[in-house]
Parts: sequence; structure tokens; C-alpha cells
Amino acid sequence: MPVEIFHLPDAGEGLTEAEIVRWLVEPGDSVTVNQVVVEIETAKATVELPCPWAGVVLQIHEVIGAVVPVGGQIISIDTGTQTQREPVLVGYGVKEDTSLTRRPRKSATTNSHPTSSRTTAKPIVRKLAKDNGIDLATLVGTGRDGEITREDVKSAIGGGVIPPKVSQDQTGERIPVRGVQRLMAEAMVASAFTAPHVTEWVEVDMSGTLEVVERFKARSTERMTPFVLVAAGLIRAAEKYPRINSSWLDTSEGADVLIHPNVHLGFAADTPKGLLVPVVRNASAAHLIALSAGITTQMDKARSGSAAPADLTGGTITLTNIGVFGVDGGTPIIAPGQAAILAMGRIIKKPWVVDGSIVIRPIMQLTFSFDHRIIDGALGSRALASVASYLADPALEELLLKD
Amino acid sequence: MPIDTEPHSRDLAVQLLTPEGELVTHESYSLDLTNAQYKSLYREMVFVRRLDLEATALQRQGQLGLWASSLGQEAAQVGSAFALEKNDFAFLTYREHGVAWMRGVDPKKIMEVYRGTSIGGWDPLEHRCNNYTIVIGNQVLNGVGYAMGCSLDQSSDAVITYFGDGATAQGDVNEGFVFASTFDAPVVFFCQNNQWAISQPSEKFVKTPIYRRADGFGFPGVLVDGNDVLAVIAVTKAALARARSGAGPTLIEAFTYRMAAHTTSDDPTRYRHENELQNWKLRDPIERLKVMLARHGIADRGFFNAIESEADAWAESLRNSVRSMPEPAPESMFDDVYAEKNEVLDAQRAAFIEYHEGFADSGAQS
Amino acid sequence: MTTELTIAKALNLALRLALEEDNKVLLFGEDIGKLGGVFRVTDGLHKDFGEHRVIDSPLAESGIVGTAIGLAMRGFRPVLEIQFDGFVFPAFDQIISQLAKVHRRTSGSVKLPITIRIPYGGGIGAVEHHSESPETFFAHIPGLRVLTPSDPQSAYSCLLSAIRSDDPVIFFEPKRRYWDKGPVDHTQSSSDPWRARIVRTGSDVTVVAYGPMVKTALQAADASEYSLEVIDLQSLSPLDDRSIADSVQRTGRLVIVHEAPGNLGLGAEIAARIGRSCFYDLEAPIERVTGYDVPYPPSKLEEHYLPDHDRILVAVDSVMGA
Repeated sequence: MPVEIFHLPDAGEGLTEAEIVRWLVEPGDSVTVNQVVVEIETAKATVELPCPWAGVVLQIHEVIGAVVPVGGQIISIDTGTQTQREPVLVGYGVKEDTSLTRRPRKSATTNSHPTSSRTTAKPIVRKLAKDNGIDLATLVGTGRDGEITREDVKSAIGGGVIPPKVSQDQTGERIPVRGVQRLMAEAMVASAFTAPHVTEWVEVDMSGTLEVVERFKARSTERMTPFVLVAAGLIRAAEKYPRINSSWLDTSEGADVLIHPNVHLGFAADTPKGLLVPVVRNASAAHLIALSAGITTQMDKARSGSAAPADLTGGTITLTNIGVFGVDGGTPIIAPGQAAILAMGRIIKKPWVVDGSIVIRPIMQLTFSFDHRIIDGALGSRALASVASYLADPALEELLLKD
Repeated sequence: MPIDTEPHSRDLAVQLLTPEGELVTHESYSLDLTNAQYKSLYREMVFVRRLDLEATALQRQGQLGLWASSLGQEAAQVGSAFALEKNDFAFLTYREHGVAWMRGVDPKKIMEVYRGTSIGGWDPLEHRCNNYTIVIGNQVLNGVGYAMGCSLDQSSDAVITYFGDGATAQGDVNEGFVFASTFDAPVVFFCQNNQWAISQPSEKFVKTPIYRRADGFGFPGVLVDGNDVLAVIAVTKAALARARSGAGPTLIEAFTYRMAAHTTSDDPTRYRHENELQNWKLRDPIERLKVMLARHGIADRGFFNAIESEADAWAESLRNSVRSMPEPAPESMFDDVYAEKNEVLDAQRAAFIEYHEGFADSGAQS
Repeated sequence: MTTELTIAKALNLALRLALEEDNKVLLFGEDIGKLGGVFRVTDGLHKDFGEHRVIDSPLAESGIVGTAIGLAMRGFRPVLEIQFDGFVFPAFDQIISQLAKVHRRTSGSVKLPITIRIPYGGGIGAVEHHSESPETFFAHIPGLRVLTPSDPQSAYSCLLSAIRSDDPVIFFEPKRRYWDKGPVDHTQSSSDPWRARIVRTGSDVTVVAYGPMVKTALQAADASEYSLEVIDLQSLSPLDDRSIADSVQRTGRLVIVHEAPGNLGLGAEIAARIGRSCFYDLEAPIERVTGYDVPYPPSKLEEHYLPDHDRILVAVDSVMGA
């Protein structure tokens, strides 16, 4: 309890003492700042003295009639819990830190947060998405104000394929990818990363097929190539195993497999415009000449740039000849919307075992990729095997008679 | 009795009114005032002292953060300010309450600065009197610059710039001397040598009497008894006339004494003797004028009492105003930082207000 | 030996020790001799060490620093006092043009082991120029070291380190804390004054402060529902951002507090460095709680200007996403 002692001030120049005339308070009284507490008589006049502090009068030090020198104690005040600031040379002094509790805020206060015109995500979350090939724009954020959280990104990563990182070296010729090519690239990506691809291959002794090709050449002016026979084999496989000639459709109930009634055979053609896939509609293996003609017609259209959109769309299964480039096999990507794709490699003389002996035979590899959601391993294998067996022994007489 | 300026020198200070209240003549300076003017000088000094005593008491009561007392320096301040023409400009430190008073500054405005409700207090252009400058010496350069402006305007306005003995060590003050001398600026350098720079006695750092420095800078200096209001008026008038004539600056050293502490929380008992104080009490500026007025029949007891009563009443109203001084609005700290619009600061001000209104009890805050 | 001292007394003790252990140490400043300094930090030293070791200077800050440079070149180790933060500016020229540059200019031949003590900061209800926070001006200048303690122990240790350093050190003393008491180990603390120190461990938010704001930050931590880690920067130049980064890597959240105006204050430098080094650790934008970009207000308004625990806690709410 701080006690302040009031000393007799010099109320006028040169005052040395004063007489106490009258006390206006007594011990125990409450006093306020500047409340007059005493009257004093100086050589000049009677003066009222105001109390500089608020508090309670503790003690009166001088009686009425006493002559007090300037500076003498006259009254003590208990200023209670009021903490006085100790003044410093230049100001009031330090204020006591009385309240250390928090002054409550209104609940509706919005703290100014930076916002972004893009999707909101913390830097670490952006990095996580970018490193994993996730486009934030495709995600729905579950954080505050739609912020995309770590969990959102992790869910999106899920069981997906992690694409390879792009090389950091940016030197070299830059070729823009635009228009059709851009769309094809996107389609490939969509196919590759939507349909789970399984690829199987088999080697075929093509001597039987080549013999058929020779016979046709002898008889007709129409073109006949191993490619046509492979196409025929594929068509027949599709007729025997219709499921390889289908499409996966996502529906509101889940998904449907749409089995196409006809085979519209698409085949990869390398054209000046790049890779195009012209389609032979209602392709049939029954008449090879017709099939060959159809392929030739569509190929010419594609190469000359006169193929209409209808010529380039609507395929239900695709055949690609990579053998023309001198390679055997690969992992072809299924055309979007289809269930399977067959690639034929080069025909190359290789040692082969026939009846226990090694002979030289024209061998070709067939690679078959199929959408594992639609076609299971057994079916895929059987379909491929049927193409292979057809090519190995093309039922020559039957074909020659028909055509 | 000539003023003793030991230990500086035995130089004689200009004096027209002795500490005993006797009028004396001086070979270079004289003053002719009317009785009314004498009485008015007395009144002004009494009020200035009263202002100072009230402010000191208010500080002790916690109504002011601090107070820099002008006690004992009334004659130097009232006298020099009395000599100014209406359009002259005064540059003050933080202790020239007597000058501010004479320039018509409302003492409440001075109180605001020491109470902490305002930084500047009053409009310098309205009163031709700058706001208190707390950085030592800055105002000397500013004053010289203002005087240079008067010169360029070819006006007859002059400037008086105040500083203390300690300040004469500052670069700004010495640069001010150089600039004023170079440009013949119409400025009066008024140094109140009150003997103390906080705890440092002036003789420690002033190896030559201050007024003699002027010689080194190329203009005249004059030593005056700072507690003699008549001599102060006379020398200041002469210096101002010289300035107006285009002849350049003058340095006036008003030899006086800081009767109180540097500021209210300073403790002078740590560094100076009570004896000194007692000696200077004998040279009191107001007392000597009172004696002269009485002796020459210019004023009587009735007049002196009336002034006291008037001062009492005025002091009461001052006390009341200070105690009831309103606090400035918090967001006012964003006012007038720039003359032109500043959107960045405006946004900060808005955010500040928003922050404060965000407290649950903010409605209750006045 | 450990005693309970105020910051002012701890500084006084450090000065006494410095004067005792090296007779090339000089104290130089206004009113530091007989008066013992306006805050009594040099109390009693003039009496015990004499007027040739504890020197009252003329009233001229530029003069104090300028002549001290010459004294240092002569082999003395001057410890200067600038009476108040707002009065350092006449000396700014000497500090920037000479004090900071001589070592570089002379390829290390001339060292200027000068310590400039400056009481700084607000909160004492003062008039103009007595509540400034000019530390950033000095931290920005290469060649200077800037140090600021926050409590009696760090005041004691940091001042001794500053005086013993062969580099020029600007030593900012938080004047509103001069009367705060705390334990002081006279054998000097083990903490390195040139590194930041954690004064309170926590896990939710890192709060960085220095000088007078360290106590305020601790008050905020006491009143907070979250676990705040409070770091006392101590050295403003060089800035120990490594220690801050270590903490932010754990908490992911940073609030910086200083009295000086926010625009281009130390908080901006810290935010830039941590924004880079901890880019992937941050859970929220870095927040600064600072003085406003206005001249220091009249003393009746200074509580609204100075950061207090409430403002810090609002910033904590923000980084916590509350």
C-alpha cells in the first residue's frame, strides 16, 4: 500500500514557512486529487492547498497553529492499489503491465488472409501435386475456403501411375505441338493412363501367309500383302471373341462394356501429316481382295490428305504395322475408346524348329495390347493365339475359292 | 554593479536595470518605454513564471509527463520577444515558454505537448513561432533558412532563433553561424546561457565567452545581463534592426540561470551546489523590475496585488483545462503524415480501425 | 556468482568490469560522469575510475562518434553513450561514412572496437524523439554489428561481448525495461550473444522478437491457448536466420514482432529469408506485428502504436488459421 507524504510546498516566491490554519479532512477520510485538504497562512495570504493524490488520509502531521517550514511533512495519504508511474527525465515513465490476460475479440472478426485468384494451396502442397503430376485444377479442395490440402493431393495420387520426370535440360530445338497433333497426344495420354494396358506377344511362322500372298499375286492384279492377311486374322479373332471389339463406357451406375456389332478396322498410317488412323468400315475377313482394296483406298486418302473426318474416326479395333520400320514388337497404346490393338513386326528369317529339325523360316512377331478392364488374360491370350494360328495356316483353299 | 561573468572573463554585460532595481545607463544601449509598457512587462513575466510553476505542480500530480522549467529566465525570454515585430519569426527550443507566451500561443497548447496529447501543439504560421524543437540545435539552421527566405523575398521581416549554452557545441549551431554570415541572413542568434546543460556547467565546454565566438564567424556578438529585461529588449531591438537593414546576423548571449532542474525528473543536487541557486536568487528578474516600478512610482501595491489575483484566477483555469484535456482519438496518429494522398497509409489506417473494432468490448470504449 | 539486478544495474556492472579488465576502455558521452547518466547506467563509475576514463562530452553526438574513431585509431576502446535514440542522427554521418567502412578501407589494418550504447524504444510516456526504434538503419549498413539485449542477464553478457569485440557495435538498450529485474550470472552466460536464443520453447508458432518486445512476446505466450516458441534475436546484424529457420521447420508458422515501423523493418528481412529457406515448411503466410508507418505518436497514444500481447495473439490466430 503506497504511502505518499505531502510536504509543504513553496506557494509563492521566497516562502520559508506557513502556519496551519484549518484542516478540512481527518484520518480515514477519502480524498480525491486536488481536493483542498488544508488552509495555511503565509506572510502574504491564506492559501488553500490541494492534495496531489487520491486515496485515504493516513496521518496528519501538524496541528492547527503549528508553524511549518517549507518542505516539512504535513499529511500522509495512502494511495491504495493505484500504482504510480515513476516519472523519467523525459516523460511519465513506464506503465505497469497490469493485464496479462487477453482482451477478447469479437467472434465474427475476419483476419485478413492473402487470397489467390488461382486455386489455394500451401507451397508444400503445390510441390507435392506438381512432383506427382497432379493438376490442382482437377481437385476439389476440402480445406478452408476450398483450399486444397495435403490429403486432397495424396488421395488424387492414390494408386495412379507416376509419370517420369521431365529432363531439366532445356537446350535444343523446340517444336511446337499444336492442333491435331496436340489432340492426339492428349488422347494417347488419356488412353494410356485410363485403361490398364496388358501387352502380350507371340512369334508366328509366316511361310503359310507368304505363300498365300504369292498365290494371290499370281492370280490377280489387286494388291495383296501380309498386312492384309494379318488384318483378316484380327477381324476373324474379333468375330470369334467379340469382346476384343468393344468399348468401356463409364455410366452413372458404374460402367458398361459395349460390344460393337461390326468391326471397323482402324490401321495406323504414316502420312506426311504424321500418324493417322484411317478406318475401313465393316471390315470383313471373308473377301481378302475387298479387304485389301478397302485398306488401300483408305490409306491413299490418308496419305494424300483427302481423308474426311468420317474416314478417320469410328474405329472399333486397330492394327499397326511397325515391321515396316524394321522392328519386331513393342507396347502399343490402345486407341481411345477401343479395347485392343494389334501390332505386327517385321518378317525376318530366323532359325525355327520344324519336326525336330532346325530350319530357316520367315518369322514375325505379333504384339497385342488390350484393356484389362474389358479383356482378361485368358481372353486376350486366346484372341492373340487365334490370329497367330490363322496366319500360320491361313486355310488357303477356302480363301482362294472365295475370292 | 556590473554582472560578474566569471569564470568566463571580466567582460561587462549590457545592463540597464541592476539586480537591486536601479536604472543605469549604457554607452551603446538605451531604452525608452512608457509606464504602461513597463507595467505590461511586469505582468507578462509574472504570468510566465506562474505558468511555469503551475506546469511544474501539474507534472508532480501526474497531469503532465514532464516539464522543462523556464524559471529564472523570464526576462531573457519576455524581453527578447517583446522586441519582435508582428511579422518576425521565432525559432524556439523546448524551454521558451516566455517567448511562446509573448507570441500569443495559448499555454494550453504548450501543455498538450508536455501532457502527451499532441506532438506540436500550435500552428507555427499562425503565431510566427515554431513548435518546440527537442533535438538540440536543429532549429538554429531552420531559423537561418527562414531568414534567408525573408531576404530573398526582400521583406523587412527578421528571425530570432533561441538556443542554450550546451547547444553551441552542436554542428547545426555552428553551421547556422556560417550560413547566416555567408548570406547576411536577417537573423538574431539568441543564446540563453543558463549555465547548465543538464549536468554540465557551461564553463566546461565554453572556453571563450559565447558572444565572442561571433567574431570568429564574422558578425558582432553582445553579452547582456539575461535577467535584466530592459537590457535584453534594448540589445535585441538593436540586433533586429541590424538584421532588417541587411547587415546580417548578431549573436546575443543572455547571461542567466536555470533556477530549476533540466526537466522535472532531473536531480540537480547530484551535480550543483545550493549556494549557486541562492546567489542567483539575488538577481531575480521579476523582483528587480518590481522594485524599480515601485521606486519610480510607476506601480503600487494595488497594482501588484491585482496582478497576483489575476494570475491566481488564470492559474486555476489553466489547471482545470489541463485536467480535463481530452485524449486524442487513436486513429489520429495516421493524420497529416503526408500533405498528399497516400493510399498505402490509408489502407493501414483502415486496418487499424478494423482491428480496434474487432474487440468484443469495443462498443464500450469511449 | 548470481545476483538479482535491473537491466540498468546489469549494464552498470558490465561497464565496471570492462573498465577494470582493460585500461584502454573509455566511457564517453553526455552527462555520464557526475550525473551517472540520465538513466543512471554509468552511476558511480566516474567516481571510481576518474575523469580520464569516464568522460563527459560536449553536447554534440557527431563530435562524440567522430572523436571516438580517432581515439580508437590511437588504441583506445571507446564505449560511447548516445543519450536517446532520437538524438543519434547527427552522428549518423560518422557512423556510416567512417565507423562502418574503416576496417574495409584499410584492409583490416585499422580496427575500430567502438561500442555505441543507445537507449531505444517507446513505452516511457515521453515527448518527441525519445521513443524511436532506429535499429534498422544500422543493421542495414555493412561493417556494423548491432546487438540488443532483452533482460538483465543478456544485457550483462551482450554488453561485455560488444565491448570486447573488435568490430564497431551499435548496442541498443530497451529503455522501458531498464527497471526490469532478473538474475545475472557474473561469470557471464554461456549463451552466444551473436546468435538468437530460444527463450521459451513451443510447438505451434514461432514468435521472433528482440529488445523490449521479447517480454511482450512472452506475455503473449502466457496468455495464449497455443504453444508459442519465443525467440530473442539478440543480434540484429549479423542476423541469425538459421536459428529461426530451425524453429519454423518444426512449427511451420512465424510471427515477427518489433516496435519499429513495419515498412522495411527487420521483420521484412526475416520474412524474406525465412520465406525462402522455409518455403515448403510454411503452413501459413508469415505475419509481422509492428509499429505503424507514422511518426511516433504523442505519448497518450503510444499504447495504440506499440505492439502488445493482444496484437500478437491476433497474429497468432491468423497463422493458426483460426
